[in-house]
Amino acid sequence: MADLRYAYYPGCASQAITKEANETTRLVAGRLGIELHDMPKANCCGAGLLTDYDYELYIALNARIFAEAEEMGMDILTICSTCLMVMATANRDLKEDPGLLDRTNKVLSKVGLRYSGNIKVVQLLWVLAGDYGLDKLRKQVVKPLNWLKIAPFYGCHSLRPASALGFDDPEKPWSLDATITALGAQAVQYRGKTKCCGFQVDLVNEETAELMTAVRLLDGKGRGADCFVTPCPFCHINLDNYQKLAEKRAEANISMPVFHLSQLVGLALGLSPEEMGLSRHLISPEKVLK
Amino acid sequence: MRAAIEAAKGGYNVAVVTKVYPVRSHSVAAQGGINAALKETDSPEAHMFDTVKGSDYLGDQDAIEIMCKEAPADILELEKMGAIFSRDKSGGIAQRPFGGADYPRTCYLADRTGHGILHVMYEQLLKYGVYLYDEWHVVKLVVKDNTARGIIAVEYEAGKLHRLHSKATIIATGGYGRLYKTTTNALSSTGDGMALALDAGAELMDMEFVQFHPTVLKRTGILMTEGARGEGAYLLNAKGERFMSKYAPKVLELASRDVVSRAEQTELEEGRGIDGCVLLDLRHLGEKKINERLSQIRELAVNFAGVDPVKDPVPVKPGAHYSMGGIKTDNDGATRIKGLFAAGECACVSVHGANRLGGNSLLETIVFGRRAGKKAMDFSKGSPLSDFPVDSLMDAAHEVANIVKRENGEAQYIIRDELNAVMEENCGVFRNKERLARCLDKIRELKQRHNGVSLSDKGELFNNELLSVLELGQMLTVSETIVLGALNREESRGSHYRTDFPARNDKDWLKHTVIYREGGELKIRYRDVKITKFKPEERKY
Amino acid sequence: MKIKFRIRRCSPISKEACDPYAQVFNVEAEEGMTVLEALLKISDEQDPTLAFRKSCRSAICGSCAMNINGFSRLACNTQVIPEYKKMGDMLIEPLSNHRPLKDLVVDFTPFWRKIEKVTPFLTPTKKTSEATVTAEAEAAIDRSQRCIMCGCCNAMCNSLEIDEHFIAPAALAKAWRLVGDVREGHQAKRLEKLSEEHGMWDCVRCVHCTEYCPKGVMPLKQIEMLRSGALKAGILDNPGAKHVEAMADSVKKIGRLDEAAMTFRTLGFLRSLGMIPFGLTMERHGKMPLPHIFPQIEEIEEVRKIYEEFEKALKKKKG
Repeated sequence: MADLRYAYYPGCASQAITKEANETTRLVAGRLGIELHDMPKANCCGAGLLTDYDYELYIALNARIFAEAEEMGMDILTICSTCLMVMATANRDLKEDPGLLDRTNKVLSKVGLRYSGNIKVVQLLWVLAGDYGLDKLRKQVVKPLNWLKIAPFYGCHSLRPASALGFDDPEKPWSLDATITALGAQAVQYRGKTKCCGFQVDLVNEETAELMTAVRLLDGKGRGADCFVTPCPFCHINLDNYQKLAEKRAEANISMPVFHLSQLVGLALGLSPEEMGLSRHLISPEKVLK
Repeated sequence: MRAAIEAAKGGYNVAVVTKVYPVRSHSVAAQGGINAALKETDSPEAHMFDTVKGSDYLGDQDAIEIMCKEAPADILELEKMGAIFSRDKSGGIAQRPFGGADYPRTCYLADRTGHGILHVMYEQLLKYGVYLYDEWHVVKLVVKDNTARGIIAVEYEAGKLHRLHSKATIIATGGYGRLYKTTTNALSSTGDGMALALDAGAELMDMEFVQFHPTVLKRTGILMTEGARGEGAYLLNAKGERFMSKYAPKVLELASRDVVSRAEQTELEEGRGIDGCVLLDLRHLGEKKINERLSQIRELAVNFAGVDPVKDPVPVKPGAHYSMGGIKTDNDGATRIKGLFAAGECACVSVHGANRLGGNSLLETIVFGRRAGKKAMDFSKGSPLSDFPVDSLMDAAHEVANIVKRENGEAQYIIRDELNAVMEENCGVFRNKERLARCLDKIRELKQRHNGVSLSDKGELFNNELLSVLELGQMLTVSETIVLGALNREESRGSHYRTDFPARNDKDWLKHTVIYREGGELKIRYRDVKITKFKPEERKY
Repeated sequence: MKIKFRIRRCSPISKEACDPYAQVFNVEAEEGMTVLEALLKISDEQDPTLAFRKSCRSAICGSCAMNINGFSRLACNTQVIPEYKKMGDMLIEPLSNHRPLKDLVVDFTPFWRKIEKVTPFLTPTKKTSEATVTAEAEAAIDRSQRCIMCGCCNAMCNSLEIDEHFIAPAALAKAWRLVGDVREGHQAKRLEKLSEEHGMWDCVRCVHCTEYCPKGVMPLKQIEMLRSGALKAGILDNPGAKHVEAMADSVKKIGRLDEAAMTFRTLGFLRSLGMIPFGLTMERHGKMPLPHIFPQIEEIEEVRKIYEEFEKALKKKKG
């Protein structure tokens, strides 16, 4: 399995607020034989906010991350959809616009770095559903989650812009649905599965953010979901941490447990709820576990 | 819209009544550009000569002179309003060559020039607080004692008839491409204004001159801009020959549109087409230039014909594109009815004569739109508001109610399809007496049948079907004038080509056809062409 | 091939309300046929009462936007057979985020009002009206100029879905068309207005506008340029701008996002207080972000140096 080696970029959220996502990803990757190599120098991708601050600065800072991966000789694996979108968009722009790559390298040269445009950015979901393979994953499952109806929450940044990401189809996404099925559970279909959780305006317009979170959760709940799963820690923050606020704002009872993708995989691989850090969730998933 | 802006700038209370929202009007689809002699090495006189020659000497030279002289200032004014044309290296307005022009005189915004200008017009409407009555379909121009009193229109959303009482009315309703099966025109281009004007007592001029654009996509009729040939695209027949060398050895693909369309039709009829088409080849331009200058064309070809012009030549054929004829006006847009004006494609000043040059239609809308707006404003200043005849609204309501009430009649689309077929077959690029006479009979039959159509949709709100029936009535009226004009004109000139009279005949036919209604009958008279600077000579490209 | 079209229709009761229902039509689809052609065929041959807007049928007038299999598209440039093959269905619905009036015709009034809100015409000063538009200056606003006002972006806008007062991407793309024009004279004033509530900072960056624009306008890109413009013009007294400034500072200082510091910076002290009861729950679960618990990244000097390079360039540009 030595060919599945990645420069591992957990993203800022998973190094603090949702550190259970990071820890469980490492556990699960270890089990599956996916090598994750730390990037001690890597800076924050900017989460889209630096794009607003100064486009070319955002590009340069992302190119700095890519340069580190290039030095390591590996593609980047992230477990955050926003990091994925932000980095993949920067990478696309750098690859498509030689002038931009030149200007960026000029800046990077001041700190002795260079990016030649040769790495890819992927997220855990893609590796599972792609290079690792769901057939293989299915064979590793020791505890099929066959009693669970799960709402796959792709969120927006794991699918769009398709021109930069390209793995799944934003109109007919399959990767998370198929992963759920591979783990033995049933995927619930609902309209909001590829929409936004609201995280980008959590601190700008709470009302929109909280209502959006409520609408997504209620959408899945209405279609019979026992719980949600998301490949993105920011989606998790909104769907789980802020669920109580969303309930209050929407004046509705939601009580919907939300899993990180890595947790769900871990449980099916036979790892314990403790190992999966489930006690860190604000909405306890206990009631849906056997 | 240009007319409305001019009058609103003058402080007048102006309303725009339109059956689509203003940014949806068909000018939005004009791709290639707008002509003006901006450079020192060019001159309005040269522009004028190209236009006169392009018109096959049927254009009125005083009007053409006005248009060409005022063009540069109008272009600059459009930029002042907010439009941006594509730039050249020095930051000036770039210009590209166009068919029938001796100089690269066409300003453009990539391949969406009309879109760029139309959106700026819309911005200006908002700026000057012009009232918008959108999705209103005009059913009547109200005229009494040879003076226009306003209009009656159906508000599509509410299914209500309204009257708008005004001192001056300007018709700017565009063309009638939808009479034909293959057309570049929008579904809304049904010649409404021309029919309304004729019914109200105005005259239509040179209706037999219908421009067939040489490069439209086969199945859908979607336009591939002349700008493509301006940028250097070739036309090829089935044998891969650049056949234009036979028809216009000097300028090849950049001959005027009537010449190119006829050449294509000849190639097709002589069996050198591929599946009813010739090929528009852009491949040698390269992907970069195509993306930069003709990106929309690439999109359209991919989406609507499944051909990527970077990789393959695009199958094209001639399709109905533009009406040279229209409501007869003077150089200020005035018709023979007081207070009634017209501008743009629905009008005939005449600047295009028997064939319009690419890049002159947007120009006409801007120059004569502005002039008509100004004149309408001056007219309003000097005259009192005359009364709106009380019965007219009731009469219009009865007419509409009669259509809605009718039961068990034919469906409108059958008549529309038959009209499209008969016009395409008999009143297209090549015409003759026998075909035209057959066509006229058929139109008269269809008019009868149209009186008996009934609706499935009896609802008031958004009654698409009612709108289609009203449009079809207007289309039938317009087609009759086209065929009548074509049947009478026993010569070939510009876009009007009679296989039974293949030569131009200046002695008998250097004159405008004027059609009007008298006692329910269509009558024809003829009017001399205004010739000032350029004497008619043989037209060669 | 025969294809089943499921159309979500709505019969009007009045101008304000309509009664929804679904209807199925079978259409013989030929190669190359567009959804608009299919609808025209249905309305001619099967049900003339079916209402939808249409005009140019060549993707430039913006009339025929509707939801096709859940996503906004122009009916005229969506081909039936490939769409059907991909989605396995043909579900036609009125444009989302817009109120249906009859069948596929929606109320576009709110759309136009939003456009009007951004003062959608050039307002030059005497000085700026003389500015030369170079090819570069034209390129800066080229994408925003391609907008056909079809409403596909607003229909997919996740923020508008939740907050009907949000200014939404179409109007924001138009705003950049003007703010980005070298001949415009009131950039700062426009940007201030756009920074108000329900303005540009309420965009949730869901990328749907850019993904579903049929003309490549990339509204999100235009929004980013507006936001950068506002920051550079010093329009900072609003949560959106503060959020970005806080982020930029945090990355410069420690190379990462410092969530606790961002919460304080963005909401101000008093509003942060309001978050405390909720914060306490988070702390119990170990989720309360504490300021500066992060170690800074290795080689943080590189990041700071990159910042400095851009600050230097900006200063030079300013004069």
